[in-house]
Amino acid sequence: MLEVYIWFYTGCTLVIVGSLATVIGPGVKDPLVRTLNTEIPAVGLSLIFLTYNSTIALLTFIAATSIITLILLRTIVRLEEMGAEL
Amino acid sequence: MILVPDVVSPVVVAIYSPAVFVGIIVALIGLFGISIEKNDLQVLILTDIVGVAMLIIVAAVGTDLAESLVLPGLVVELAEILAICEILMSREMRKTGKSVALIPTPLNFDMEVLQTAPVFIAVILVIYGAFLSGFTGGAIAGGGILFYVMSLTVRGVPSDLWEGIAGASGIAWCLWITGFLVLFVFPSYWLLGLMLAAFGVFIKVAFKAGLIGVMNREEFRKE
Repeated sequence: MLEVYIWFYTGCTLVIVGSLATVIGPGVKDPLVRTLNTEIPAVGLSLIFLTYNSTIALLTFIAATSIITLILLRTIVRLEEMGAEL
Repeated sequence: MILVPDVVSPVVVAIYSPAVFVGIIVALIGLFGISIEKNDLQVLILTDIVGVAMLIIVAAVGTDLAESLVLPGLVVELAEILAICEILMSREMRKTGKSVALIPTPLNFDMEVLQTAPVFIAVILVIYGAFLSGFTGGAIAGGGILFYVMSLTVRGVPSDLWEGIAGASGIAWCLWITGFLVLFVFPSYWLLGLMLAAFGVFIKVAFKAGLIGVMNREEFRKE
């Protein structure tokens, strides 16, 4: 079995790199790219939850993240169809 | 110096400070992004990052307390994003005068599998959820109920059972609270309290589907 800390520190790295990518990454002026970039810290946070054995928190987090991504993507598409400035 | 009870595992204690540190760094990155961004939608997406930072700091506690604090945090974040998206869109609708439907294509299928499969899948999910009980069971059974009612709506059959479901959800909530009261006031009846709480929260979470249904009804009505 691999060391527990590997998962924790991989999660931390993913969270930090992912949040940097969301804030100043390439092409984030496009809200679609920015929304997809938020998935990277989400995966990192899932690994951190996994380290702490927070099963129910992990389950709820995955469900909530997928719903949030759905809502945000649909909002972006609807705003673009209305011709809003993004 | 940090005071730690003996019951906390050494693994959790060892990664406490790095976790809090990472949480603070990520929060600063997210807030920096929000401060330099002008567009409202972009700011809304960036609040996701700050939410992740909040969850890391909560998870760093590493006990059941963390798990119970993560759930309301997530639900509040979800509700907040839903509300702000709605506000952004209605503002834009008022500005441009155009309106765009929630579902891109009209939902009117007439397929055989939609009449036979949903009943079977819903029954299996509800039975499995009742067997699990508690929060997880409620989520699974709720998924089954939601799937069934959604497939009714997609087929064009009117489904008006949402109000009743919302009422039952409220009653189950009272059951849950009664279970907790029993646990504290009459500790000798702990099994009764446990069962009340487990099945109260099962029904409550399962019928949360009603909430989504009430929102969807308005959207599906206008075909």
